[in-house]
Amino acid sequence: MDGGTAEGTQVTDVFLHQRYLSRREVLRGLGAAVALPFLDAMVPVARAVARSRSKTRLVCVEMVHGAAGSSAIGIKQHLWAPAADGPDFDLTPTSLASLEPFRDALTIVSNTDCANAEPFTASEIGGDHFRSSAVFLTQAHPRQTEGADVQAGISIDQLFAQRVGAETPIPSMQICIENVDQAGGCGYGYSCVYADSISWSSPTRPLPMIRDPRVVFDRLFQVTRPDLTPRENLQRLAEDRSILDSLGMSIARLRSRLGAADRLRMSEHLDNVREVERRIQRVERYNASGEPRELPAAPLGVPDSFSEHVRIMFDLQILAFASDITRVVSFKLGRDNSNRTYPESGFGGAFHPASHHGGKEDRIRNFAVLNGFHVSTIPYFLGRLRQTLEADGNLLDNTLLMYGSSMGDSNLHNHKRVPFFLSGHGGGVRGGVHIRAANGTPLANVMLAVLHALGADDIHQFGDSGAVFAITS
Amino acid sequence: MILATLVSTILLLADATVTGTWNMGLQGDHVIPTALVLKQDGRDVTGTIALPTQNIGQRVEVKLTGTFADNVLKLTGDVEHAKEPTTIEIQGRFGDDGDLEGTIVVHGRSMPWTAERLKERK
Repeated sequence: MDGGTAEGTQVTDVFLHQRYLSRREVLRGLGAAVALPFLDAMVPVARAVARSRSKTRLVCVEMVHGAAGSSAIGIKQHLWAPAADGPDFDLTPTSLASLEPFRDALTIVSNTDCANAEPFTASEIGGDHFRSSAVFLTQAHPRQTEGADVQAGISIDQLFAQRVGAETPIPSMQICIENVDQAGGCGYGYSCVYADSISWSSPTRPLPMIRDPRVVFDRLFQVTRPDLTPRENLQRLAEDRSILDSLGMSIARLRSRLGAADRLRMSEHLDNVREVERRIQRVERYNASGEPRELPAAPLGVPDSFSEHVRIMFDLQILAFASDITRVVSFKLGRDNSNRTYPESGFGGAFHPASHHGGKEDRIRNFAVLNGFHVSTIPYFLGRLRQTLEADGNLLDNTLLMYGSSMGDSNLHNHKRVPFFLSGHGGGVRGGVHIRAANGTPLANVMLAVLHALGADDIHQFGDSGAVFAITS
Repeated sequence: MILATLVSTILLLADATVTGTWNMGLQGDHVIPTALVLKQDGRDVTGTIALPTQNIGQRVEVKLTGTFADNVLKLTGDVEHAKEPTTIEIQGRFGDDGDLEGTIVVHGRSMPWTAERLKERK
């Protein structure tokens, strides 16, 4: 593995500059602060950090409404879980086919259930769409209420964030693609927050998800701006200013203290920051132009294109991970009952009706196209993780991404044989394997294993877990 | 072996009661989970069904009365406050697996359903 820390470069840096940079070094300007990527000049500090605790990142991606591969026909046709267990799985017929270039980093765990998303009482029957999202990362059964007395459980991302969050400026980030800004009750006696958030910092505290890439960007780079009037906002967009414009002196000062390799690395990082900023500005300019929008109610920074929106959100995560601003992200790709269409997928039908396929083969296959399209957003992120080097390898080596849903067959609204996979080697997960669980195995067992892999092996129970699932063997 | 299975099936049916909460799947364009709560007293049955409405997330509860005899469930109920008088009719029977299955007629439209008993948890 190329760690990007050539010994010669380290020696040169030490010899010439007699000083190491803090991993917390930040470029500061007026109203903005940009954290640095890993640099050779930080090596002794980074080594100390690596010795004390590996900087593992956790990304939890939820896509609602289960998968076509969880239906009876979909199981037979291997539309989600491959036919073969073990390392020799064939992804071709599955919705995971786009992950083939990353099969070595892929751990598919199939045939698990989310029993805590099932109804427990008569009044909960039929409320599956309104409580499922709250179950995915908590594996807890949400209390049926439309009031403020919501209750689920602490989500897995927050359990991890409680352990590592203090080491980064932002303990964790919660981001989403669909509109999740709904208030009150959403249906069947459930508060909207159950469908709007997947992250719970306590059993009674769901965390808001950020949909606007601009808001994420500003938060990552501590951009402060006074409340702008719409006119001032348009003027700002027209001027195409960058946060980097205010960092000139700070960049120049630091550059003079760095060796050649570090200067290049810092330059690439700042280019990446600027590139993401440019894309957000381009989206904002278009959305402010008066041209018709597919998502007219969405904030200015939200692209109409699902793929573009997801990609910007992933690029923001790369920037956050590379500069160690946060190590924990939960990412909600969809919202239950959404009628969004995904023209880029090749199937034009709306999502919610497509997921209610009636058990008919042609409609199941259409839904599988949408499932495959959603999964196909992941390889871009995995590729960027692999390209991004840090002290002890690359980001893919140190990141564990989980993707799934707490619903199985959305036509039946059940929570059996839910779609799920892990990707990346964070926590020592080896990958390159399809593991088929025994019937009735709780997904919570897998999540408990993930917690243990991430170092939280003092946690003995998560949701309805009954044992620790073997994911690292 | 066959005799034992036959005897156990007969005993199962003899002991069968529809009392309880049922997770009923109305099989329209897709399967709609619906709560069916029943109480059996002799052959008389009373209960409720929480029918989904056209507005996502909303449902209307309908009181039911009827009978369960010879493994056949028959229930009827009137939808209160409906725009026009609406009576629903439900017929069903136990399957070999202990689940119920049958048809429901609303506005003259018949729809198949299956139902499994909910193990209520708190």
